[in-house]
Amino acid sequence: MATKRRTTILVVLGLAAAILVAIWKPTVLIYGVQQAGLYAAIAIPMGLVLGIVHIVNLAHGEFMMIAAYATYFACRATGMDPLIAVLPAAAVTAAFGWVVYKLTIRRALKAPELNQLILTFGLGIMFSQLVNLFFTSQTRKISLDYVSASVTIGETSFGVWQFVFVAVAAAMAYGLKLFLTRTTLGKAALAVGQNPKGAAIVGIDVDRTYGIVFAIAAALVGGMGALFLTRSAIFPAVGSPFTMKSFSLVAMAGIGNIPGILGSAILLGIAESLLRAFRATRGWADIVFFVLIIAVILGRTLKWRKS
Amino acid sequence: MTKLKTEHLTRAFLGLVAVNDVSFSMDEGEILGIIGPNGAGKTTFINLVSGIIMPSSGRVEYKGRDVTYMPAHERARLGIARTYQLIHPLENLSLIENVMVGSIFARRHGLKTARAKAAGLCESLGLSGLDRDTSRLTILEIKKMEIARALANEPEVLFLDEVMAGLNADETRELIAQVQTIARERKLAVGVVEHVMGVIKELTHRVIVLEAGELIAEGPYEQVSKNPRVIEAYLGGAA
Amino acid sequence: MNRNLLRALAFAAGALAVSLPAFAGAYPLQVARNVIMYMALALTWDMLLRSGQISFGIAGLFGLGAYATALGVLRAGMGDWLSLAFAPVFAGAAALLIGFLILRLRAMYFSIVTLALAEIFRIVIHNLHDFTGGPEGVVLDGVMLGGSAAALYWLTLGGLAVALGASWWFEKSKFHFALTAIRNNETAARSSGVDIFRWLLATFVITSAIQGLLGGIYVQSYGFATPDSVFDANFTLLPLAIALLGGIHSTIGPVFGAILLGLSSEWLKLRLPYGHLVVYGVIIVVVILFMPQGLYGLARKGLRRAEGRAE
Repeated sequence: MATKRRTTILVVLGLAAAILVAIWKPTVLIYGVQQAGLYAAIAIPMGLVLGIVHIVNLAHGEFMMIAAYATYFACRATGMDPLIAVLPAAAVTAAFGWVVYKLTIRRALKAPELNQLILTFGLGIMFSQLVNLFFTSQTRKISLDYVSASVTIGETSFGVWQFVFVAVAAAMAYGLKLFLTRTTLGKAALAVGQNPKGAAIVGIDVDRTYGIVFAIAAALVGGMGALFLTRSAIFPAVGSPFTMKSFSLVAMAGIGNIPGILGSAILLGIAESLLRAFRATRGWADIVFFVLIIAVILGRTLKWRKS
Repeated sequence: MTKLKTEHLTRAFLGLVAVNDVSFSMDEGEILGIIGPNGAGKTTFINLVSGIIMPSSGRVEYKGRDVTYMPAHERARLGIARTYQLIHPLENLSLIENVMVGSIFARRHGLKTARAKAAGLCESLGLSGLDRDTSRLTILEIKKMEIARALANEPEVLFLDEVMAGLNADETRELIAQVQTIARERKLAVGVVEHVMGVIKELTHRVIVLEAGELIAEGPYEQVSKNPRVIEAYLGGAA
Repeated sequence: MNRNLLRALAFAAGALAVSLPAFAGAYPLQVARNVIMYMALALTWDMLLRSGQISFGIAGLFGLGAYATALGVLRAGMGDWLSLAFAPVFAGAAALLIGFLILRLRAMYFSIVTLALAEIFRIVIHNLHDFTGGPEGVVLDGVMLGGSAAALYWLTLGGLAVALGASWWFEKSKFHFALTAIRNNETAARSSGVDIFRWLLATFVITSAIQGLLGGIYVQSYGFATPDSVFDANFTLLPLAIALLGGIHSTIGPVFGAILLGLSSEWLKLRLPYGHLVVYGVIIVVVILFMPQGLYGLARKGLRRAEGRAE
């Protein structure tokens, strides 16, 4: 109930902001939504892991970074388009995620929550520094023609390629919803997320479910890594800002509320895009996320204390 | 003299009333049993009077002073102490250091005074080997340490939440005698939650019975245990 | 254990540390300065950890202190020593304000908020061009103490002495009991009369002030500050790994952790042009998974087992 109400509020606020901005500065809205798609598509897998395995994966962005690097070298070697590599990248990252789960996360599940936080923090550093070690901190980019495709409507002209992220984010949210409500595995995962002990009693293999969910999340963020490569240059630290941003979105939507991630992403994407549109405020765009995450967390504890 | 009393004390969690309109009082030197079936609200009641949670309505009075919404640490300083059902000895602290905590914070003694006082408390409870790590204590010793920790607050009101659970008959007898001595010597008002009725019978002067958060009976154990409502509450809980 | 022996060892280590400039060259002295800086930061992180709160925001307070000193000199015309004193005052005051807001948060919420705050500080300083110099930062007229390598080393050592003293004081005073009680079980702590918020606030302000002081020392010994250099995530990451490796909840753990990790990463830095910090990530992961009590914890456990056998 509470999450549903929050989703509605987020959607209404997002729409209202969107309409206002659309009238005033259409490109701000367009780029804001595109950016929101990117944020949401990266945040949704983190929301999945947090909702079911109950782990804040501070190495989340690094999974995407590693997938992007793997894709980059595969594409350089074969001349393949990163778009074709999305599915293979997802498969490889899924396997990688599963191994990481088995070797590390699983061993820390029973440890205090803070140990898990520090563990994934350490994993993130390990991953980014390993990439740094092998491939240096040099930025790498694949130039693609179709990325710069643009459309002109009236006096406004804008790039369209990044709408792909919006489509992917929406597909992810819808696909996960179907997966969690329609498939046996998904239902089991949901049950484990709500009550691991109860799920174990009715015969669900909790550890296996955690592993699979972790692998699915890795696959999604891995596919995003390949897709990310079409748009941006990559370097070892490219993933880490997305970890914080993803967590902000997940926390704002409320744990376990995947559609809400889309709503909060749109709100944030537009807010950032708005600040970026003016020279005087451009540098402040990055602060939006951090102020927001603090506001959300403080607001929630206030509410806790009241009830 | 009345040390502690509540008036219409009520606490609801999300619509579920855990403690409902409970009025009671405790006198100096009195050992009061708090009994009732599982989930009757006994621990919630202790949490309310010790300030760990706040009531939805009603009033708590300590020595005539309104303490209904006073934070737990301030009540501890005023003289309300308690033990916990699930005991967590402080890791990395020795037996005596565990006991010192109440003395340091509730009474604001310096470390030296606190150590001396804690040593005295431990001795009066028959605890020795005071510098031992708590992982090496027996169950009886841990229970005694828990009581000593509460007594280090130098309280006038003390709640013991299932301190006898897990002890054998001899150990229980020993601890009952000690609690009685402590209550008498320190003129404490003691509230005791126990599931073993033999303990309640032997230890307490008076009992109150809670069922589904409500106080349903009150009086000496012999009298209350014959009360049909009480019998039904226990049987109903068991069925 | 033999108390006198320990005391003698500590004294010898202190004497060695103080007299290092007499026989060490410029490079070892520089390495020592780094090790000392991270050792001090690791101690402050551990002091707050003793209450069970994990801060991911060391770099934030360190950076605030650094800019307080730099701007104190450049904008307020403070002398070198005054600017050094201003850093902990400013960081401590900031921590006091922040603490009122965030010290009711627990577990990951506290950690994430400290991380976000550090980022906010960086972005604010980045953007207040006219006052802070923006992304290019600020440059002092010169390095303190005439730039003497030995004097700057002693200055850093002084920062460490403050952190060590505070940590030792925490272990020997009521702080030890308050923080241990809070870490173990807050409810039980309240019933023993511990005013949790007050003790957390005091600890947060004290550790933040020391982090600020270290930031001030850093600026005064390098002569410049940029948002990216003083808010560097390494000022959060390295202390964390150091304390974990050496053993948390102790003074001795971070000290040994810093020596071990500081020297080994320095050694790696010479061999690996990129990614020598990988050792920090690996150590965090390995320690959390296989020896959460750190080396000191392992040693203590071994010692206790040996004592048990002797009984």
